[in-house]
Amino acid sequence: MNALNIAYKDLMMLLKDRGQLITLFLVPIGFILAFSAAFAAGQELEAQVIAVPVVNLDPGGEMSTLLLQQLNDDRGLQTEDYDQAQAAADLSDETIKLVLTIPSGFSADVQAGKQTTLRLAYGPAASDSEVQAVRLVVDGIASDLSLETQLVGGLSQMGAMMGDAPAEVRVFTAERIATQAESQFERAKTTPLVALSAKWPDQITQGREDFNPSSFGVAGFAIMFAFLSAQTTAASIFEERKEGTFRRLLAAPLGKWELLAGKMLPNFFLAILQMVIIVAASLVLLPLVGQQAPTLGNSPLGLALVTILVALCSTSLGILLGALCRTESQVGGISSVFLWIAGMVGGAFIPAFVLGDFLNAIGKVVPHYWAMQAYNDLMLRGGGVGDILLELGVLAGFAAVFFAIGLRRLRFA
Amino acid sequence: MSEPILISQDLKKSFGEIEAVKGISLQVARGEVFGLLGPNGAGKTTTISMLTGLLEPSGGQITVDGLDLKSHTNEVKAKMGLVPQEMALYMSLSARQNLMFFGRIYGLKGKELRQRVDEVLEMTGLTDRADDPVGDYSGGMKRRVNIGAGLLHKPQLLFLDEPTVGVDPQSRNAIFESVEALNRAGMSVIYTTHYMEEAQRLCQRVAIVDEGRIIAQDTPTALIRSLGGGVVLLGVSASAPEDLAERIAQVPAVKSATRSDTYPAGSTGGQLKIETQRLQEALMQTLDITNQLDVRITSLEILEPNLESVFLHLTGKKLRQ
Repeated sequence: MNALNIAYKDLMMLLKDRGQLITLFLVPIGFILAFSAAFAAGQELEAQVIAVPVVNLDPGGEMSTLLLQQLNDDRGLQTEDYDQAQAAADLSDETIKLVLTIPSGFSADVQAGKQTTLRLAYGPAASDSEVQAVRLVVDGIASDLSLETQLVGGLSQMGAMMGDAPAEVRVFTAERIATQAESQFERAKTTPLVALSAKWPDQITQGREDFNPSSFGVAGFAIMFAFLSAQTTAASIFEERKEGTFRRLLAAPLGKWELLAGKMLPNFFLAILQMVIIVAASLVLLPLVGQQAPTLGNSPLGLALVTILVALCSTSLGILLGALCRTESQVGGISSVFLWIAGMVGGAFIPAFVLGDFLNAIGKVVPHYWAMQAYNDLMLRGGGVGDILLELGVLAGFAAVFFAIGLRRLRFA
Repeated sequence: MSEPILISQDLKKSFGEIEAVKGISLQVARGEVFGLLGPNGAGKTTTISMLTGLLEPSGGQITVDGLDLKSHTNEVKAKMGLVPQEMALYMSLSARQNLMFFGRIYGLKGKELRQRVDEVLEMTGLTDRADDPVGDYSGGMKRRVNIGAGLLHKPQLLFLDEPTVGVDPQSRNAIFESVEALNRAGMSVIYTTHYMEEAQRLCQRVAIVDEGRIIAQDTPTALIRSLGGGVVLLGVSASAPEDLAERIAQVPAVKSATRSDTYPAGSTGGQLKIETQRLQEALMQTLDITNQLDVRITSLEILEPNLESVFLHLTGKKLRQ
């Protein structure tokens, strides 16, 4: 009963603090609106396809055909055939912005291992970003083609040389080496050779299949701000200790457990309320400002379980911070920086697939990551409770560890 | 003495290697105002913390109203009230909200709670400002709410821990009057302070605490009587003869004269502590001796017989050093 009295008192104090209320409820909604708008704009830009006029002076050639196929293969470019004179005229009167010319004998030269040059001409109407985008894509494909041809040629030569060796030391035939090399390159097409430029768009494409920026933003900021509210508990514990009210309360017929429960309850319910308000406000407000409403998936039970565990985790973290912080600046400043960084590496701000392997690995040590994975599974991929058992377990584990350390380190007076 | 409300036997508390309380035994009678006196750092607050169940003693036993504190913690706590030294209040809440909260914590509810809050507000003279945030109050008003919060549940034994620190003279008098009124109503009070004049005015008995021990325990009158007439502190120049204290000790009106380890600030000389039953006579004869020996006097302080001089007599130190 006394725990409820303490919780009621803390809530009364919170309701008198307008700044705190704004931080808890309005700031996250503002963040979500801004984030969704920015991400949606980014998606529109990414979805634009650049038209690339092509003058093919090597029509029907194996390599030029392969080049054109790859240029049109979901790389953000769309080639259009032009004859040479028309392309020159249109470029000069700015009807087209740029033109790519495949030289005659291109396929034969590449297959023979001779040097050949693709030419990209552009006029004043072409923007730097368009020119750079086309150049990067063409460079990448051309390099792969060139590399493949050279390598296959080299391996074939080796095979031929081995063919002259005595039968007892001949391990590979030329055919077998060539087959092996070509098979390698088939795999290289699905797993691009240059890791950074090839992997990145592949992952984005994969994530984008079910990526809804509103759902991501709502889940991310709900988690981010739920964990930031741990500071409310920490600050409240710090204040009680500083002002001596803990001392007065502990002189009353009241157990330490009741006191601790009383300090935890407000944050627990506030964190849940905060997340519910964030989702409800997003469902209403985002469509009003022309953004996509978040999808909530098919498992209300799953959402409720994740939300409860996030609130529990945040509350336990508040006890831990309250126990560890010795000064006001530690409560307000250092723990705030820690929570923002944890939110970032945990993927609450920026999608985990954008962060890269290193930050993704680091992110796993913060509860934000697991909460985010759970929400994404439920909201973006339509999963159920069975799909997020690991995440739920890890979040419960974080809550238990935070609480145990906090309880051990907490000094009441 | 009537049946004690509180008995503490050989109470000890250590923090690591530091022994803060080294075996305190005391008894507080029902309806008594008992003073716990001593300088800052003497162990008063640690003792109060153990007596109120905030700190677990390293040794010893505490009994309140016949109940052992350790085995009946909450029952005993319900019989006691604590007014901490600091303003242990929620500044953003009003006096009424603070009192309602602390009342609920002690199990009051409904009509009884509202009635007690109104009574305490009336008693502390804060009815008109009851709904203003405590943070907007003056220091004296906050102090009154602080005391009021300890009285809501009508404790049998009230602990007042240095209640007048940082309080203006007017509010200090109001606090004295409140304590006297509570005592007249039959409440037992343990009052800690390092202001001896407060103890002299309010307490029926006092225990003087120094370095974690009780060094004297009696009524203020008996303690003062044990000292006699008074104490003269005489600062002398460095050139004073070594045997000056012995010479002064032979004066008939002087009870004892000792060189004190305590020197007046900024002085390069020494200080003599002269205890006497006949203050004026002893002082005249002492000055005759210093004139004869051509000793330069650098300071002279006469301590009328009071608890302050009792403390000096017992410890060789001033209370507020």
